[in-house]
Amino acid sequence: MLHLHQILSITWKDLKILFKDVGGMVTLFLMPMMFIIVMSIIQQGMFDPGDSGQPRRLPVVNLDSGNLAAEVIAQLDNVDGIEVETDWEGEPMTREQAEALVTDGKRAVVVVFPADFSERVEERLDDAGARATIELITDPAVSTQFIAPIQGMVLGIAERVAETALAPARIEAGLAELLAYLPADAQILLDKMVIETEKTNVVHVERVVPPGMGVEVFPDSYQQNVPGYTVFGVFFIVATMAESILREKREGTFRRLLAAPLPKPILLAGKLLPYYLVNLLQVAVMFSVARLLFGMALVQPVALLVVSLALAAAATGMGVLVATFGKTQTQISGLSVLLTLTMSAVGGCMVPTFVMPDFMQALARFTPHGWALQGFQDVLVRGYGLAGVWPDAAALLGFAAVFFLIGVWRFRFD
Amino acid sequence: MSDNIIIEAQGLVKRYGDPSAGSGRGVEAVRGLSFAIRRGEIFGFLGPNGAGKTTTISMLSCLLEPTEGTAIVAGYDVVKAPGEVKRRIGLVPQELALYPTLSARDNLNFYGRIYGLRGRTLRRRVDEVLGMVGLAERAGSAVEDFSGGMKRRLNIAAGLLHRPEVLFLDEPTVGVDPQSRNGIFEHVERLNADGMTILYTTHYMEEAERLCHRVAIIDQGRIIALDTPRKLIADLGGGIIHLGVANGMAEGLLEQIRALPEVRAVTQFDGKVKVEATRAQEALVGLLALFNRTDTDITSLEVLEPNLETVFLQLTGKRLRD
Repeated sequence: MLHLHQILSITWKDLKILFKDVGGMVTLFLMPMMFIIVMSIIQQGMFDPGDSGQPRRLPVVNLDSGNLAAEVIAQLDNVDGIEVETDWEGEPMTREQAEALVTDGKRAVVVVFPADFSERVEERLDDAGARATIELITDPAVSTQFIAPIQGMVLGIAERVAETALAPARIEAGLAELLAYLPADAQILLDKMVIETEKTNVVHVERVVPPGMGVEVFPDSYQQNVPGYTVFGVFFIVATMAESILREKREGTFRRLLAAPLPKPILLAGKLLPYYLVNLLQVAVMFSVARLLFGMALVQPVALLVVSLALAAAATGMGVLVATFGKTQTQISGLSVLLTLTMSAVGGCMVPTFVMPDFMQALARFTPHGWALQGFQDVLVRGYGLAGVWPDAAALLGFAAVFFLIGVWRFRFD
Repeated sequence: MSDNIIIEAQGLVKRYGDPSAGSGRGVEAVRGLSFAIRRGEIFGFLGPNGAGKTTTISMLSCLLEPTEGTAIVAGYDVVKAPGEVKRRIGLVPQELALYPTLSARDNLNFYGRIYGLRGRTLRRRVDEVLGMVGLAERAGSAVEDFSGGMKRRLNIAAGLLHRPEVLFLDEPTVGVDPQSRNGIFEHVERLNADGMTILYTTHYMEEAERLCHRVAIIDQGRIIALDTPRKLIADLGGGIIHLGVANGMAEGLLEQIRALPEVRAVTQFDGKVKVEATRAQEALVGLLALFNRTDTDITSLEVLEPNLETVFLQLTGKRLRD
């Protein structure tokens, strides 16, 4: 009972010291929060395909003298997450206005349908080599990753519209040749088939998710940045904790405490618990901010809690380990910053792992950050429950055990 | 061990490093200390920095395990029953072992809780020690805003909360102004008057002389003298006279000095003469007369009155603060 009382006393004392340290609070809470807010907003365009709540605006200039461009534009406008802009200041947009929008950085890409678009499509009936061109006016600085999906979408819809427009004429021409050889009943049946074909699409594409992934949502910038910078911020506890241990050694408080009837394991437990609790608080605050400010869905709370508990264990374990390597505050700060920043970057907290080269993606598996981020995204993005996140939690606890065991083995109280 | 003895050390040795490596025995910080401290005594360890005082206190307070020897503190062996020893001792380390951003009361509450004090008892004890060290009015202030003397007083207070039988004070006045130092002396004397045994380490001979009932002079890990300050000074203190001589010593002059009635020993070094005397002032009169008679010019003269400093100088050939 006395030992529990001692652990709680050390915990309470360290929490008081920690919450009086304005700089420490800024590092642990404000910094990751600001990263979450700023980076989520900045990278919104990079991560989000756009959705009905927040559509991506796509300026389109229609110079086509026929009807096909208008049909393509109508279909583009029906795409969820795309808002087609054909007018500018109440007038149909001109090519010059469109170019100015890109030059001025107001839009990253503009689609231009030339005057002969429909004409060139229809020429295809007689000339197999005829091609209609759609222009994509873009800022050269905009990455291909951003442009490629738009280009693919426009091309896909245009191809479909063109093929649909050409299909009846092609079928009709083909059948006309056949009709001469068929009886009257067969002619009526063929006409009916042609009409049915024109009414319905043969292929329908529907987005589905694998079994067990209950939430049909895909990562947006918040779902990348909130867990990413939460994990990043949680590991800043390493420096805070290691510096606190060093201070206790340097200022003789450990010496005084060890002259009291206080066993070393109890003292160490008392030093770990407050930082573990602060880690959990960090996760709670970051996710609450994301929920309140951005409406980020917090699903599967038990699974989230399990990942958070395992993450906090890994971070505090690393704190003990780093404390055994630094003999001065400068050494500890340097080592902590080096480790946490490198591991955060490699683990995908700053840049998602799916854009990294293969060997970097493999390297992410050797960081607790990578597993923690995957754990959070398994819950938040893929909707996994407890059964789905146990490998992530187990990996984090494995890191915690390794860090802690090496740390305790190397630990000196004086 | 008699009931009157509260600390007894026998052949205490502390050796650091691997004895099998290098020199073969490692570094010996403490080399076979034996002493006994009586209940209710202020016992001083006087010695220069690095003499082994803190290492000895660390062994007696169960922070370090002796390499050899035994120590019984308040009836318990420091190796076999460290928990029992720790409950009965209070350690005031040389460092200001306090949390600067917390208030004085928060610091004391924390240390009190570590000793298992709670609730009303804890509050009463904290108030009691704050009053004892004169910090009751600053109880709510952050320690970082305290003066050096106030911090030292609070450092002592933190060691008193659980009312220890023995208090280890390790250099408690380092970096403290003279006024605060006197205040600390008064606190120590008051605690002792209330029956507390105090082991006091210092490298300031004035502190040992003023406070300690008995003093162990320690150098290079060994006790080189142990007695009351008065007896140490009477037996060994005498006085020391340093004389600088202009043109070197005339032949036979050293023998004439040695023959003077109050002179105990004479040594010559770096053009100076060191005269150890039983009574420095009387010896000086004889010396001046002799130098006058022999036409020897004196370029410098220093008289060290008898005190623990001169005792240490006589015993080790060096000053306490060298």
